[in-house]
Amino acid sequence: MIGGAFGVTLANARTGDEAAFACIFRDVQPALLRYLRVITAEPEDVAGETWIQVVTGLRRFRGGEQDFRAWLFTIARNRAADAGRSRHRRPVVPLDMTEAAQHPTTADAADQALEAVSTQAAMELIKSLPREQAEIIVLRVIAGLDASDVAKMVGKTPGAVRVAAHRGLRRLAGQVAQAGVTL
Amino acid sequence: MHGEMPGFFPGRPGGEHDEPLLDMILERRPIPPGASPEFHGLARMLAAVAGPAEPGDLAGQDAAQAAFARLASRPGTSHAALRSARRSLSERPARGRLPLAAALAVAAAGLGSTAAAFVGVLPSPIQHFAHDTIGAPPPPHGVSARPLTVASSPMPRHPRPSDTGSRRPAVSPDPVSDKTHRGPLSVHGRKAHGAVPGHASCIPALGQDDGGAAGDAQNSVWPSPAPNQVKPGATQSPTPSGPSQNRASPESLPWPLPSAMKGCPAGTTPYQETHASGR
Repeated sequence: MIGGAFGVTLANARTGDEAAFACIFRDVQPALLRYLRVITAEPEDVAGETWIQVVTGLRRFRGGEQDFRAWLFTIARNRAADAGRSRHRRPVVPLDMTEAAQHPTTADAADQALEAVSTQAAMELIKSLPREQAEIIVLRVIAGLDASDVAKMVGKTPGAVRVAAHRGLRRLAGQVAQAGVTL
Repeated sequence: MHGEMPGFFPGRPGGEHDEPLLDMILERRPIPPGASPEFHGLARMLAAVAGPAEPGDLAGQDAAQAAFARLASRPGTSHAALRSARRSLSERPARGRLPLAAALAVAAAGLGSTAAAFVGVLPSPIQHFAHDTIGAPPPPHGVSARPLTVASSPMPRHPRPSDTGSRRPAVSPDPVSDKTHRGPLSVHGRKAHGAVPGHASCIPALGQDDGGAAGDAQNSVWPSPAPNQVKPGATQSPTPSGPSQNRASPESLPWPLPSAMKGCPAGTTPYQETHASGR
C-alpha cells in the first residue's frame, strides 16, 4: 500500500508521469497476479488486459487508494471472466515448464526460489479451498480490500462475505496444521 | 461449517469464539500470542502470500509502462479511440507483413514464369512470345498455337466424356483440385499458371487417363529413370505411354532444372522434355 502519498502519486500518473504510474504498478501488481492465479488460468494475460483498461480509465477515476484497488480488482475480475469464456470457446493445452527453468543457478536465485516455493505452496493451499472462499480470502488478505468492497465485487452482502472468509480461514488453518507447511 | 474443521475446536463444532481472531487475520493485524498454534501458522502463511513481490511478478512492468506512455499521453481521446489504438498496435506486425508477402508472391510468380519459359512448358502463344523476347526455346513442333480464349465464367468446367482423350491436355491451374479439366485454357487459368511456380511447369502426361492413380499421387517425387533408359538425342514418341516410361531424367535436360520442377506431381511431365529430345 502506498498510503498517504497515493493521492499525489495518482495525480501525477494522471498527468502522464511514468514514474508515478510505475510506483502504482509495483505496488499493486504482485497482489493482482496472486489474485488472478487463483481465479484464472491466464493470470499474466489478464493482468495485462487489466492494466490497459486501468490506463485508459485513469483520467476518469476519482477516489482514494482503497477505491483505486477496488476498481482495479473489479476490472481484473471482469477480464478474468472474459478470458474464461474465451478459453471455453477455444481450449488450449498449456506447455510444461522446461527443466532448466525449474533449477536455480545461483545462490540468490536459490533463495528466491525457496521463497517462491513456500509462497506457491501457500497459494496452492488457498486454491484448494472452494472457489468463492479462496477468492474472498485473497481479496481480503492479499488485495487488502474491506468486506464491503469485496461484497460489491462478488455480489454478496458483507455478512455473507465475512462468513465465507471465516469458513475458508478455518479450513486453511486445519490444512496448515495437517500439512505442516513451513513458512 | 460442520465437518470443515474436525477436531480443531474440541467440543465446539461451530467455533464462533474464534471470529474476532479470524477478523484480525483477515485485516492482517497481529494476533495475540496466546492464540492457538494453528492460527499462528495460518497468520504466517497469509503474511507470506501477501508479502513483497517475487521474481517475475513485475515482469510486465515494461509493457505496462509502454502502454501507459502511449495511451496516457493522448489527452482528450475517447475510450473507443484508445481501444482502436491498442488494436492498431496489435495489428501493426500483420500489416507490415502484407507488402512483404505480396512482393514474395510477385517474385515467385516471375521466377516461375521465367523458368517455365526456358523449360518450354508454356502454352504455344506464350512460348512464342517468350522465345521472341527473352530467348526462350521455341514452342514444340507439331503443336499448333491456339489462340487464347476468354472464359465466360471463372468457374472450372466440369469434364464431359467427349472431352477426354481427344484434345491435348491443358495446363490446370491447380493440379490437385482440377485434375480432369481439359477445356480451352482460360485467361484465369493462364494467370494462375504463372502464379503457382511449384505446379506451373508441370502438365499432365500425354494421353494419360483422367483421374488415374498417377494423378492421385500428386505429391510424390518425379521418378527418375535408370541411366540407360534415356539416351541423349533419342526421339520419344508422343503417343500415350505409361507414367514411368520415356522420361528424361532431370540431368539429361539441356537447361538446369528449376528446383520447382523437381517437385512435379507424378503423372505430369515437363513439356520441354519432348521438345528437347526431338531436336
